[in-house]
Amino acid sequence: MANFFTTYSALIVTMVFAAMLALSLYLPLMAGQLSLASPGFYAIGGYIAAIFSTTLLKPTGDVYPLPYLLLEMVVAGLVSGVLAVVIGALALRLRGIYLALATIAFVEILRVLSLNLPITGGAVGIFGIPQPFQNSLGYLWVAGPLLILSAWFVYRLERIRAGRALIAIREDELAADAMGINLTFYKVLAFTLGAILAGVVGAVSAHFLNTWNARQGTFDASIAYLAFVLVGGSRTFIGPLVGGMALTALPEVLRALAGIPGLPGWLAQFLAEGRLILYGILIVAVATNFPQGLITPKLFRRRRPHKKIDQPNLVQSPRADKL
Amino acid sequence: MTLLPQSFLAVNAISRHFGGLKAVNQVSFAVEQGEIFGLIGPNGAGKTTLFNMMTGLTPPSSGQVLYEGQDIARLSPHRIAQRGIARTFQNIRLFGNLDVLHNVLIARHLHMRSNLWAGLLGLPAARAEERQARSRALELLALVGLADRTDETANSLPYGDQRRLEIARALALEPRLLLLDEPAAGMNPNEKQVLSDFIRQIHAEFKLTVLLIEHHVPLVMGLADRIAVLNFGQLIAIGDPAQVKNDPVVIEAYLGEEV
Repeated sequence: MANFFTTYSALIVTMVFAAMLALSLYLPLMAGQLSLASPGFYAIGGYIAAIFSTTLLKPTGDVYPLPYLLLEMVVAGLVSGVLAVVIGALALRLRGIYLALATIAFVEILRVLSLNLPITGGAVGIFGIPQPFQNSLGYLWVAGPLLILSAWFVYRLERIRAGRALIAIREDELAADAMGINLTFYKVLAFTLGAILAGVVGAVSAHFLNTWNARQGTFDASIAYLAFVLVGGSRTFIGPLVGGMALTALPEVLRALAGIPGLPGWLAQFLAEGRLILYGILIVAVATNFPQGLITPKLFRRRRPHKKIDQPNLVQSPRADKL
Repeated sequence: MTLLPQSFLAVNAISRHFGGLKAVNQVSFAVEQGEIFGLIGPNGAGKTTLFNMMTGLTPPSSGQVLYEGQDIARLSPHRIAQRGIARTFQNIRLFGNLDVLHNVLIARHLHMRSNLWAGLLGLPAARAEERQARSRALELLALVGLADRTDETANSLPYGDQRRLEIARALALEPRLLLLDEPAAGMNPNEKQVLSDFIRQIHAEFKLTVLLIEHHVPLVMGLADRIAVLNFGQLIAIGDPAQVKNDPVVIEAYLGEEV
């Protein structure tokens, strides 16, 4: 077991990051807003951590102090949040695919900026970002609680007034408006919450990856996060969590499968080298057969005895008793 | 502020043009508090456009909608809902993938105060409010006869139940003015009679002012205190059912030879 953790520690941390990034895209999607801006805020969070830790908060010892990391996470969250309110207020006038395009443009603008600004280290990026932990498994001390906190946040959100407002907007924007729900406010709220999460994850990720450059948080990442949500499920917060983890682990799992002794040579080779093909096939298969993703709220719904119309009141719904 | 007695709801010279089409043209009328007011007219007469202008879905080309003396015609729909105007839709617009209870619970939005953090943390006040919203929603569902279907998905309900659910959802806003857009559409005569009684019941129970678009003339005649008739975007008659019924212009434009 200990061996498993040391071998796969980097993968496990990456899976936790992926789950949170999927969640950051799921948040605006809760309100029906297809925003692909998460990688942009992820990149900003990473640059904030990289710049802080290599210039402003230079550590004295070997190990980067944990409070500094937490401070970077707070700053990354704040900056992402403020920026998201501004961008959200402008971009969320657009709908559907137009919003997706605008958010891709945002990610692309950030990429070009980071390639050309001196502060972000140009094309080389920022390297030698100090490590707060001895090994990659140590990052679970930050990433783990962050995952639990963000999952709890979205779990609760789905069950309260604000979350219901988001879901109402997703289901029927016009009807939600007529029910007194302020569309702009709730769309910007969902967009901002997703941005804050992506920014905070970026800050941790910069340390984890040791270097940060313009290849972090690009259009490719937008599509990957979208795949996490679409495959995992876009109707409950469990979907993006499972989707992010499973799709991140998939290449490694396939590699391990290819290593099983006794497999025909061609199959082993395909499993090892055709990973991207299998990945693509999986996404297409799920998207066409399960439009709401693999994990849907129906899976969790308690089964109730089906009521027959000609015998009313024999089987009373437990909720109805409370009237 | 003017000192003249004001109507509860006054539509003042309102028009809406779609390109060259005058969907609603210079329509004015007033609705008094507590009335059941019927709006009838042939297909394409501009009834739904008029409703949409009263609820902020379609801004008027010109004119005003005075609600308690203030012009609401160019406010956004959620601001109009805040002022106590709720509506149903001609082509039912439920939150179709959600269950029946949540459809009504969402409409309690304006009557819940606790903020995001109180809700997330499940503070006692937020919990109490949540319980209250649920029991209120269940009461309304019981009122429309859907108490034992709270867990069903809204779009799996039969058509008549969907209409009832839409009314329950509108009532959850605790409106003072309720706009019903063809609530009896697709119902059989028996269901129509039940619906008519139901509208009268909620009108009394919730002290509502009801504005009703209806195709089925006998239903409006039996229900409404006063009726306005639209034809080609213009108001051609207004008055109590007997007056409207016998108005030759109305008979010619809409009712055919006899009612």
